Amino acid sequence: MFSGEAAQLVHIHLNEGRVFAGQPLHEAILARCRALGIAGATVFRGIEGFGETAEVHRARPLGHDQPLEIVIVDEAIRVSQLVPELEGMMQSGVIAISDVKARRVTKDKSGQA
Amino acid sequence: MLEKGPAKKVTVWVNEDTRHHHEKLWLAVFDYLRHKRIAGASVTHTKMSFGARKHVHSADLPDTPEFSYRIEFIETAERVEEVLPTLYEMVGDGLIELQDTTVIKAVNEHAPSPEPEKRAQPVRQKAQLMRVLFGEKDTWHGDRLYDAIVKRLRMMDIAGATVWRGLMGYGAKGETHRSRLLHISEDLPIMISVIDTPAKIEEAIPVIEGMLENALIVISEVDAIRLTRPGTAQETSHVQR
Repeated sequence: MFSGEAAQLVHIHLNEGRVFAGQPLHEAILARCRALGIAGATVFRGIEGFGETAEVHRARPLGHDQPLEIVIVDEAIRVSQLVPELEGMMQSGVIAISDVKARRVTKDKSGQA
Repeated sequence: MLEKGPAKKVTVWVNEDTRHHHEKLWLAVFDYLRHKRIAGASVTHTKMSFGARKHVHSADLPDTPEFSYRIEFIETAERVEEVLPTLYEMVGDGLIELQDTTVIKAVNEHAPSPEPEKRAQPVRQKAQLMRVLFGEKDTWHGDRLYDAIVKRLRMMDIAGATVWRGLMGYGAKGETHRSRLLHISEDLPIMISVIDTPAKIEEAIPVIEGMLENALIVISEVDAIRLTRPGTAQETSHVQR
């Protein structure tokens, strides 16, 4: 059996054009995660998508309006601290949380686990 | 191929300049019908016309560069039902007309033997979704780590894996980067997502773990719905660089 620790996975769906306090929202979210000591966060860009406004977000020759997904993994307690902060930063979008098992693999240079 | 008897005839009227995702709409409709293996379709170019916009379109008048196009096809009622919703969505500006017709004769000596209609069969099962997060620059015996993992997963007959490259991120490579400020790095985050049965995922975890130096493996329980067409290869691989 995979003996990963119980953790939570947070998916945030938004689009690239969003701004928070003068900086791109996804960058602001990453900075906030870091400030809160969240273990890790990664931003992925989608090719095409649509959300609440039923407007299709896709790559356009001028400007970027592609969907973004931020993936965050941490302990449930940290996620519960993060979510209210995210809610305050996002005007729209989706935050989805699921229970996962996570294992961090770290080895030093000598190759020992 | 069409058979003798009742059928439907669809006519789509569009202007030359109407676009569908930067492509000419008439061409997009034609390509779509071809893609859907509709028995046959013809595009005709009108000599002169006017429509809802009351512009006269003519090939002869110098000031009307926009012509009008007519795309026609004849198919069984069932096939027409299948393609109409997409055509409805595609034709943002124009007209779609449907009429009953009767095929008297449809012969093509060179037509390929008709393939039986194959529908995708949905198979629903409990599965696991594994995500492995690490950095793009990580290597394994000289190969890109993501490449090496995908190859290994293929060798293990894992149902599928997709490699994603992130725009930015932190943490996937362990504690060491945490103290630094967000920096634009050449080493972008990579995520591989894999969906397979719990047994196959359990089998893959130790193998992948042995290849990783600094990474995070995340497993979630999911309901997977798999669509496969009977008689086609089950395996698809998307290796994107």
